[in-house]
Amino acid sequence: MTLFLTILVYTLGGTIVGSFISFLPSLHIYNVAGIALLIWGSMADILPEIAMIPFFTSLIVAFAFLNSIPMTLFSAADESASAIILPGTKNLLLGKGYETVIMSGIGSLVGVLFLVVGTPFFYKIMPYINNIVRPNLAWILLTVVAYMLMSEWPKGAGYGKTVWQKFSGAWANLFAGIASFLLAGLLGILIISKSIVTHQMAFQNIMPVFIGLFAIPSMIQNLLITYKIPKQFVPKETIDLDGKTLVLSSYQGCISGFISGYVPLITAGIGGIIAGAATALRGDKIFIIGGGVAKVIYYVGSFLFLFVITGLSPYGFAKGGLNIILKPYFSPQDNDYFLILSIIVLSGCVSFLMLMWLAKVAVKVLQKINFKLMYVVMLVLIVIFIYSLTGLNGIFVMIVSTCIGTIPVFYHCRRSNLMAVLLFPIILNMAGYGEKIADFLGLIKF
Amino acid sequence: MKGITHFVSGLAVATFFPKAVCMASRGGIVEGAESSFILVLGALYGIMPDTLDFKFGQFFSLPDYDIDCDPIHPDPQKMAESMGKAMEEAFEKDKLVKVQLYPMQLGSDLWRQYVIKFDGENNEVVIILNEIVSTSQVPFEGTAPKENRVGRYKLKSGKMLETHGRPSAVDIMSGPQFGFQKFGEHVLVEFLPWHRTWSHSYVLGFFLSLPVFAITYFFNLTNWYLYGLIAFLGFATHITEDLSGHMGGSLLWPFIKKRYNGFCLARASDPRLNFSVIYLSVTIILFNIDRFTVNVIPLPWYKYYFFFFVIPIILFLIFAEIFGVKTQIKEGLIGVDEILKQARVSNAAAIDELNSEEESIIE
Repeated sequence: MTLFLTILVYTLGGTIVGSFISFLPSLHIYNVAGIALLIWGSMADILPEIAMIPFFTSLIVAFAFLNSIPMTLFSAADESASAIILPGTKNLLLGKGYETVIMSGIGSLVGVLFLVVGTPFFYKIMPYINNIVRPNLAWILLTVVAYMLMSEWPKGAGYGKTVWQKFSGAWANLFAGIASFLLAGLLGILIISKSIVTHQMAFQNIMPVFIGLFAIPSMIQNLLITYKIPKQFVPKETIDLDGKTLVLSSYQGCISGFISGYVPLITAGIGGIIAGAATALRGDKIFIIGGGVAKVIYYVGSFLFLFVITGLSPYGFAKGGLNIILKPYFSPQDNDYFLILSIIVLSGCVSFLMLMWLAKVAVKVLQKINFKLMYVVMLVLIVIFIYSLTGLNGIFVMIVSTCIGTIPVFYHCRRSNLMAVLLFPIILNMAGYGEKIADFLGLIKF
Repeated sequence: MKGITHFVSGLAVATFFPKAVCMASRGGIVEGAESSFILVLGALYGIMPDTLDFKFGQFFSLPDYDIDCDPIHPDPQKMAESMGKAMEEAFEKDKLVKVQLYPMQLGSDLWRQYVIKFDGENNEVVIILNEIVSTSQVPFEGTAPKENRVGRYKLKSGKMLETHGRPSAVDIMSGPQFGFQKFGEHVLVEFLPWHRTWSHSYVLGFFLSLPVFAITYFFNLTNWYLYGLIAFLGFATHITEDLSGHMGGSLLWPFIKKRYNGFCLARASDPRLNFSVIYLSVTIILFNIDRFTVNVIPLPWYKYYFFFFVIPIILFLIFAEIFGVKTQIKEGLIGVDEILKQARVSNAAAIDELNSEEESIIE
C-alpha cells in the first residue's frame, strides 16, 4: 500500500471508529485513546507506524464533531434539577434535538476552517505569544481560576426578611461552587502526589477521577428524569439558521476555542465562559454553534499545535490529552503540520456526514430505547471498566469523585469548578509550592 | 463595564511595574523571578467593587416593601399601587423607602417578564406585563396577557423625579430594588440604591489594600510595598473606568457620600467598548511582560500597538458594524414603546443602562 493510501485508509478508519465511539454516552475519547494505544502496541507488528498519527488524529476529530449527539440527545435535566437548563437540553425537550446537533456540527466545521485559515497566525504570531506566556503560566492559570470563582454571581433572587436569609438563599450556589472547587482541588493534590492506582496503569491514573467527577453525576441526573423526551423533529431540507448568527457564533467560538486550545488545563467550558463574557453575545444558537467551533479548536487544534515547529517553538506548543498520550511514541517533524491539517480537514468533512447520519439514527433510537435502562447498563459497564483497569482502589477514587461531582449538578453551580482537580495541583507545582503542600498534608516525605 | 473588563484592565495596570512582572515569572527566566502571584492582585482588586456590591452589599440593603406577585394570577394594578404608595410614604415621612421587586417564575425555564416605568410627565407608576420568556430572555410570542396587562398609579403627593427616564424590565433570576427619597418637592427615584455607593470609593480601595501591605510586610516578601500598591491600583482602575458611563460612583465615601454621575461617554454593557478595552489590556499585558522579561517582540512600541491594536480594533469595529455587535436590547423590551404609547405613557427609548449593567454583571 502506498503512503498516501495508508494515510487515507487510517484517516477514514479513525473517523469511523471515532464516530461510533462518540455516539455512546459517557465515554470520553481520551480514555478510549489510552486503551486504543495499548491495543495498537500489542499489534505493532501488523499495523504500519506511519498510520498511528492519522488514526488517532481522526479519532479525536470525530469525537469533537459527534459527541454533541450523546450530549444533546441522550441527556436531559430533570424539571426540578436546575433553574437553568442548557440550550441543547432545552431544545431536546422542544423536539429540536436533531437541529441542535446539526448546528453544533456546522460550528465544528467552522472550527476546522479556523484551523486552516489561522495557519499563518499559528506560525508567525503564536510562537512569540508562546514565548511570552509560557514562563508566566502559573499566575496566568491562577488568574483564570480567580476569574472563574469571582465571576460566579448569586443566582437566587435573595428572598427573605433578614440579611442572613437573603444572603444564605442567594449564596447557596456560590458556596457550592467554592466547595466543589476546593474539594476537587484537594482530591487533585492527593491523586497527583500519591497515586493509588498501580504503576502499570499509571497512564490512567486520572481516569476514575474524571469519570467520577463528570460522567457518573450526569448519569445519575439522567436516571432521575421524570418526564418523557418528546418526538424529535427532523427537517427535510434545511435547518433554521441565518448567516449573521453563524458569523457571531463563530466569533465567540473562535475566541473560546483559541483560549482553551492554547492555555494548558483550560477546557472548552472555561474558555466559553471567558469568551461569552468578553464578547457579550447571548442566545441559544450562539451558545450551541459557538460550542461546536470551540470543541474542534480545543480538542483538535490543541494537538495540531504540536506540529507548529519554528525557531521560536522547536517543540510546538501543544496541550491536551492526545498530546500527552501520543507524544512519547513519535517526534513531530518540520513538514508534518500540513499533513495533519489535511487529515483534520478530510476527517472533519467525513465526521460531519457521519454526524448527519448518526443524529438521525439517534433520533430513532431515542424513541425506542429505555432511557433509564441504557444509563444503568452504561453505569455498570463503566464500573466494570474502571475495576478491570484500576482495581478496587480505582473504584474507591471514582466513588469519592462522584460525591464531589454531584455537588454542581444538584446545587446549580458551574461544573467547570471541578477542573480544580488538575488546575489546583498543577498551579501549585508550577509555582514551586506543590511539594511543600503535599509534605504538609503528609502525602510525601523528604 | 463588565466584570471581565475590570478584571483584565486591573491586571494590565499591574504589568506596568517591571519588578512585579519579573517577580511573576518562573524562576530562572530573569533576575528576580520567583513565580510570584503578585499580578493576580491587580485583577482580583479590579473586579472587587462589583463583587462587594453584588455578592454582599445588596443583601444588606433590606427593603421596606417586597413586591412579589403571584406569577399565575399577576395583578399589575396592585403592583403599581404598592410602588406608588411607597413613593408617597417616602415623600410624606421624608425618609428613604426601599422597594424590592421579584421575578415571576413560571417553570424551570419560564418567566413572566414585566416592565416598570416611572412616568414623570403624568406623575404615574406604570407596570406592564409582558410575554413569557425563557431563561435566555427570549420571549415566546403571543404569551402576553390579553387583558389586565397594564397597571398604573398616579401619585397623590410629591412629584416624581426619575433620574434615568427609561423603563426597567424584570424577568429572570432576580428583580431590582428601587429607593425613593424626598428631594424638595419631588420624590427621587433611585435604581439599585445599593450599587456604586460605598463600594466604588477610592478611599475604601485604599483601606482594602492596607491588609495587603501589612501581610506582605509581615512575611517580609521582596518588594512588599508593590503588592498593596497593585491591589489599590486595580481597585482604582475599576472606579475610574466606571466613570465613563452614566452612573459614576461615591468616589470619596465615607467622607463624601454623594454618588457622582459619570461622564456618559458610553454604555456600561456595550460589547464594542468592553471587547476593545479587554483587547487593549491583553496587548498591553503581552507587551509589558515581553519588555520586562523575555524580549522576543522585535518591534518598537508604536509599531507593535499599530499592528496589533489599532489595525485589529478598526477591523473589529467594521465587523461589529456589519454584523450588528452592539448593546443587546432584551427582546421583550423591543415592543414596550408601543405598549407604553397605547397605555398613554410618555415615551422613552426602552433601554436602561443601569439595568443592563446589572445583567452584564450577573451574566
